[in-house]
Amino acid sequence: MRFVAEFIGALRDAGLQVSPAESLDAINAIKLVGLESRETSKMLLALTLVKRQADQVIYEELFDLYFASVEKAQKEDESEGKEGDNDSATSSDDLQTAQNKQAEVNESHSQIPAIGQAANSDSLQASANSPLGQALGENEDMSLAIVQAAVEEKLSSIVLFTQKNYFAYKIMQRLGDEALSAEIRAETNSHEDKKLQQQLVKSRASLLEQVNDYVEQQYLIFARHKGQKYRVDYLQQAKLSQLENIDYKLMQTLVQKAARKLASQHSRRRLTSKRGLLDVRKTIAANAAFDGALFHTRWKATRIDRPKIVAICDVSGSVSRVARFLLLFLYSLQDVMPKVRSFVFASEMIEVSALFKQQDIELALDEIMQRWGGLSTDYAKALIGFQSQALASIDKKTTVIMLGDARNNQGDGRIDIWEKVYRKSKRVLWLNPEQRNSWDSGDSIMSEYSPWCSSVEPCRNLKDIERIFSRLLKYS
Amino acid sequence: MIIKHQEKIASPEIIQSRFEALGYICSNSVATAIYLACHLQKPILIEGPPGVGKTELAKITAAYLNAPLIRMQCYEGLDESKALYEWKYGKQLLYTQVLKEQLGDVLRGARGLDESIARLHDFGDIFYSQEFLEPRPLLQALQSQDGAVLLVDEIDKADQEFEAFLLELLSDYQVSIPEIGTVKAVSTPIVMLTSNNTRELGDALKRRCLHLYIPFPDAALESRILASQVEGLDSQLREQIVTLIGKLRNMPLKKSPAVSESIDWARALLLLNVEELDPHWVKETLNLLLKFQDDIELVEPEIKALLKGLR
Repeated sequence: MRFVAEFIGALRDAGLQVSPAESLDAINAIKLVGLESRETSKMLLALTLVKRQADQVIYEELFDLYFASVEKAQKEDESEGKEGDNDSATSSDDLQTAQNKQAEVNESHSQIPAIGQAANSDSLQASANSPLGQALGENEDMSLAIVQAAVEEKLSSIVLFTQKNYFAYKIMQRLGDEALSAEIRAETNSHEDKKLQQQLVKSRASLLEQVNDYVEQQYLIFARHKGQKYRVDYLQQAKLSQLENIDYKLMQTLVQKAARKLASQHSRRRLTSKRGLLDVRKTIAANAAFDGALFHTRWKATRIDRPKIVAICDVSGSVSRVARFLLLFLYSLQDVMPKVRSFVFASEMIEVSALFKQQDIELALDEIMQRWGGLSTDYAKALIGFQSQALASIDKKTTVIMLGDARNNQGDGRIDIWEKVYRKSKRVLWLNPEQRNSWDSGDSIMSEYSPWCSSVEPCRNLKDIERIFSRLLKYS
Repeated sequence: MIIKHQEKIASPEIIQSRFEALGYICSNSVATAIYLACHLQKPILIEGPPGVGKTELAKITAAYLNAPLIRMQCYEGLDESKALYEWKYGKQLLYTQVLKEQLGDVLRGARGLDESIARLHDFGDIFYSQEFLEPRPLLQALQSQDGAVLLVDEIDKADQEFEAFLLELLSDYQVSIPEIGTVKAVSTPIVMLTSNNTRELGDALKRRCLHLYIPFPDAALESRILASQVEGLDSQLREQIVTLIGKLRNMPLKKSPAVSESIDWARALLLLNVEELDPHWVKETLNLLLKFQDDIELVEPEIKALLKGLR
């Protein structure tokens, strides 16, 4: 059972959401069927713990890794049991008993010549002083001791690959490496002792290798996905404008995940509106007690109006990266916001709604950024374009979202058009990818536009985007 | 659920072999899931591509355990009055009419309003009671004496609200009817939910269920399924069919052919007296396997290449 509990811990670290109730189910199932073969246990745990198709892959990988090590440990446990009291020699500090036992063991070992070092160095090992040295001399299998030491050192809390050496060192210490090293370093003159020291150096190296292997394997089980989790946390806070290209892929999945969460939250909201349709069946049911006289009216629930959104994104050099994620977010929200028109501009205003309909969203984004991204900005020209293309379709239900840094290269900003947009629409949101104190510095004319915006907000990381849209959906 | 023959569910292996005898060939994990569902009294959430036998599994389980199968097909807008219970309004109205006529007798001789009201209180009120309750599938499943197999088909098609409404039923096998109170299961039914994954189900629902994913069967399993479902199919032709369908599933199709389609196809080929797959017949019958014109257009030019190496 301990293995199962620990395995569930590993699953949680890997990002699977396993609730206590599910863990109980798993344990009940195991009690019922038993853990005879690896196949059945894999099946049982999958049935009770893994509820999402996407998690299946991670689960299988972890299961194989984890139970390979457990099985190995168990096998060794059994073989150790057969050899009898070998075990106690490692933990016992009492030199006397250890040596007594060692004598017996050495006899038994000498009958099996194929056991490598121990067999041909019997006489030397007898004089090793440190407990670890003796254990190595007896050619004992150390894996169980390693596992124990690892548990004591809480190896399962490992997070970063840089910690591997640290843990390996701690485990070696726990096994009694200090005494062994001292013995190896001790100055001696006798030929025999030198030979012994060389032997010990060799066996210590192989032990170290074994420990390192074990740490590596445990790292794979417990930490690899943890690292991913840290990266995800970091990305949510990171400035969108400074993301590296390699993070794009992960970021896109994150954006879509956040959008889906928001979408499902808001698609659930339904209101019983007073002006909906009369629900005849429910009304009769509710009033049957009054002899058919209709006291209470029951109304059909109506879905709340989805906001109509016009998004305008600056895709010039400085803002293009943020624009990319904003658009991605917007289009991942299509379930709850079907009526989105989007425009991009550097100097020309171009409607890209159709492009998103035709193509896969990521491809469309790539194309947009390639064709129009990275040019220099001209707000005046862009706003004139917007006026002719879309101003007529903006009405009192429309929310206009503008993403831009308001850096107009010293040109006229055509504030008058923006004022018209503000007056015709329900609300105007201006999202600025720069932080507040750099607004209005240099060629930024944010303060000229801001009187004609319902709100102006900095929009620098994924958290910001999520917060803004959450509010948008709530109060529309 | 009271299972009259405990030996029927003694182990997953027995379930698997008996299902086979009934004509439902399943993998080990399916049998284990049924076994656990019977013993742990947990609902099973079955997912998988369409046509791998999710609904069929519920039917065969019901048949195997001699329990009635109560099926509820989900769709958008499904609500509790269609899934759980409804009042018999007509009868309720009639009841009030009858009551009105009786009222004179009941209140005769009463002095003052207080006494009348007291008498009215003593008078049994059955307006909201079991008699006027019209049970719908969920309530039927809870009320059936010897237990039942309740199949909630395509739960992903129902709204999220309905999913939440199911939670009480799934975890405690009881439902709350506001006018009456809580109705507990007479005998715990075996509940199976199927989903085609058109939308992500809520975590709360998933947590309460065992999760069984039925994938497309591997070649050996599919061959056994065809052998049991299509009698008189030549074994060589069967192998050819299975291999070809395996290849089709690896192609980027809109909808891959499922088990039900391969069974249909095998039956059709048998009916047409086809002894060996050749390009002509495959082309003629392709519409049985592929349900989208795009897919058919994609596969048609490849038929020869696909058939190569089958013989």
